[in-house]
Amino acid sequence: MKIEWTKANVGRRGFLKGATALGAATALPMGWANRAFAADDGVLRVRAYGDAQNMDPAHSVGVVEEEVHASIYNKLIQYKPGEEWGWQLDAATMIEQVDPTHIKFALRDDIGFTNGFGAMTAEDVKFSMERIVDDATDSPNKPDLGPFSHVDVTGEREGTIVLNKPFAPIWSIALPYITGNIVSKAAVEAAGGRIGADPVAESGPYLRDSWSPKEKTVLKRNPDWKGDAPTWDTVEIYPIDDENTAEIAFEAGELDVTRVSLGSVERYRAGVPNGGSLVEKPSLYYVWMGMNVEHPKLQNQKLRQAIQHAVDVPSILEAAYFGAAEPSTGIIAPGLAGHRSSSLVPPEANFEKAAQLLAESGETNVTLTLDTLNKTTFTTTAQIIQATLAQIGIAVEVNVLESGAFWASGDNENLQLVLNRFSMTPDPYYATSWFTPEQIGKWNWERFNSPEFNEIHETAAAETDIAKRAEMYQRAQDLMEESGAYRFITHEATPVIHSARVIPALRPDGLSLLRYFGKAT
Amino acid sequence: MLNFATRRFGLSLLILFVAVTVMFLMIRAVPGDPVQIMLGPRATPELQAQLTAALGLDQPIWKQLLIFYGNLLQGDLGTDVFSGRSVTDIVFQQLPFTLELIFASILWSASLGIALGAYAAAHPNTLIDRIAAAISVSFVAAPAFVVALLALLIFAVHLQWFPAIGAGEGFWDRLNHLVLPAFAIGLSWVGYIARLVRASMLEVMGESHVRTARAFGIAERRVVMVYALRIAILPVVTVIGVGMGFLLSSAVFAEIVFARPGLGKLVIDSITTRNYPIVMGSVLISTALFVVSTALADLINALLDPRARTAH
Repeated sequence: MKIEWTKANVGRRGFLKGATALGAATALPMGWANRAFAADDGVLRVRAYGDAQNMDPAHSVGVVEEEVHASIYNKLIQYKPGEEWGWQLDAATMIEQVDPTHIKFALRDDIGFTNGFGAMTAEDVKFSMERIVDDATDSPNKPDLGPFSHVDVTGEREGTIVLNKPFAPIWSIALPYITGNIVSKAAVEAAGGRIGADPVAESGPYLRDSWSPKEKTVLKRNPDWKGDAPTWDTVEIYPIDDENTAEIAFEAGELDVTRVSLGSVERYRAGVPNGGSLVEKPSLYYVWMGMNVEHPKLQNQKLRQAIQHAVDVPSILEAAYFGAAEPSTGIIAPGLAGHRSSSLVPPEANFEKAAQLLAESGETNVTLTLDTLNKTTFTTTAQIIQATLAQIGIAVEVNVLESGAFWASGDNENLQLVLNRFSMTPDPYYATSWFTPEQIGKWNWERFNSPEFNEIHETAAAETDIAKRAEMYQRAQDLMEESGAYRFITHEATPVIHSARVIPALRPDGLSLLRYFGKAT
Repeated sequence: MLNFATRRFGLSLLILFVAVTVMFLMIRAVPGDPVQIMLGPRATPELQAQLTAALGLDQPIWKQLLIFYGNLLQGDLGTDVFSGRSVTDIVFQQLPFTLELIFASILWSASLGIALGAYAAAHPNTLIDRIAAAISVSFVAAPAFVVALLALLIFAVHLQWFPAIGAGEGFWDRLNHLVLPAFAIGLSWVGYIARLVRASMLEVMGESHVRTARAFGIAERRVVMVYALRIAILPVVTVIGVGMGFLLSSAVFAEIVFARPGLGKLVIDSITTRNYPIVMGSVLISTALFVVSTALADLINALLDPRARTAH
């Protein structure tokens, strides 16, 4: 058969019409078809602010990786979702502090590792904890285990954690967080002692199914998991740094859960799109303005105290935090042992007292620099501080720094005022550890040097009486404030929005515990 | 032509060398300790010292530069400290996302821009020409990030026609995910190319070969499309070559706003964390892309217009 091809009689207009119609026909349904995200497809879509790129708990760099690790590994104990800090059993069937330096545990007998690495045993617990404190592992998370010594294995699934001295934070930041993840000894040794971007053996309720760097991490149910089954078949974690992008993605129906910016809280209080809800949680972060006590311009304590009283915290919270955050009383957030109900210097500025203290200091024509990060919240805060200090005659020049440069300020002896924000784990020990004399030149940028504070930091970590411990940390914060080196501002807040089909499981500070997320019926 | 291509290739290598060396020195001049950032606040001084030595950061800068080029000649861009993965793998994993975004932007903006410019030039000083001019200037003036946000709000949130974030999986899904970011960063190029084509066309339309074609009674549509546009399009080729560099920088914000993976986002994240191996790998590849695209534009120009060869 002979086929005769004839030239199609398509003119320019015809071509354009056809191309437009074809484009519309392909693009629009393609778009609509893709928009079925809100359907109950068993996929939970959550936002993380970074990409989890290392599957080794020993080399975890924080919350982003822990979100994945906590889903694919087990710990003896896990944080409990809710309003108050606490823990619940995970891989352990029993765990008990038998004396201040010994913790006995027994493991469940139904947890196994993937890739044929067998059942979880006490040897795996021993290996996982001891490798973190082993210098050969080079783990930056070693300090979280404090005076941990070793684990005595007393049976296939029984053992005792041994501490060199009492260490209260073992229950709040060591066992239920990064350093508590249990990895397979056999698998890690087979991998040469270090886990890289891919897990070598998993044991949690989820398995990491795939990782597309900078795009998403996909977790799927572990078919061999014998514990309480997670509600969601699949969890997709999207690394989105920008909160505005995350909010748009949520409103477009592409995310189920995301933290939102403080500036958006008011809008979401009026209603969350698509029937969703807003959850407002306190945060553990702490923000303060520090003063370098060793700098020649700031060695006068009266001057520092004048500055403390001239900073109006409510104005800062209104302008920079959109009224969505509360004033802080120190470095320890509400809900943690050692939190102070009020600070020595009230949040509101007292310009009369500030002027009086300035006069007493004998300092005149004071000009200072204030270093801050290049984030809107901080630059706004810095501008308000600049304006309020001007009211008592102190001129402030604001230095805005990019994050890499800012965080290298530890050894900058010329630092004067600095607006700072540190992250925190749920134990006061973590907060005070940055302000000891040993940290001068590293993270103690104020160069605050108090032997009493240092003594409290050392002894409070070993104190097991909660009330006594709280008193010690309250005194530590009094010392900080009395020095005049600190003006505490806020602990910020963690506003989270979630879709109507999700029951979120959040830590008291608003961070996600993915394995416990539920479905709304 | 071979001589021209050889000289152009040599120049490209020189540009690449200068750009990468300058970037190497600049990133090290920026304050901020990469080891401290990588290891976090709790790392011991011993651990910091070990990593500093492992990264070669304890060596003088000139020696670090020599080591970098030595490894580069062996095809080794280093290892990412955070994930332990090869930098080459990481960069080439992200590259396709950026390339598809840039090509999609160029494709649609050049197609529409050329058509709009040619049509306006064929009907100079008419109402249609003025409308085309107004549209073109509006497109040029529209900041890409504003277009991106508006496009997201209208087409992703309100109409829900297109996805807001990610890059998608599979051909159609990836294409679908490209629509909004490519629209956002290509829009200003539509106006720019349209104005360029119109000006160039009007100049060419007055040249003798076009007048001759008309004198021979060739149809006006053929005169415009074949005799005028073919010559008038030459500056567009050059502009697109240079435009690759601009689109690479536009891709950075598109990748952030649309939460897409890509080279731009990789560079930003790496600079923030002072991840030197990734920064250098990404800069090397993006500079190479820019150099190759401008060189290709020059070669195409030379092929289409013999005067360009002699001018060089």
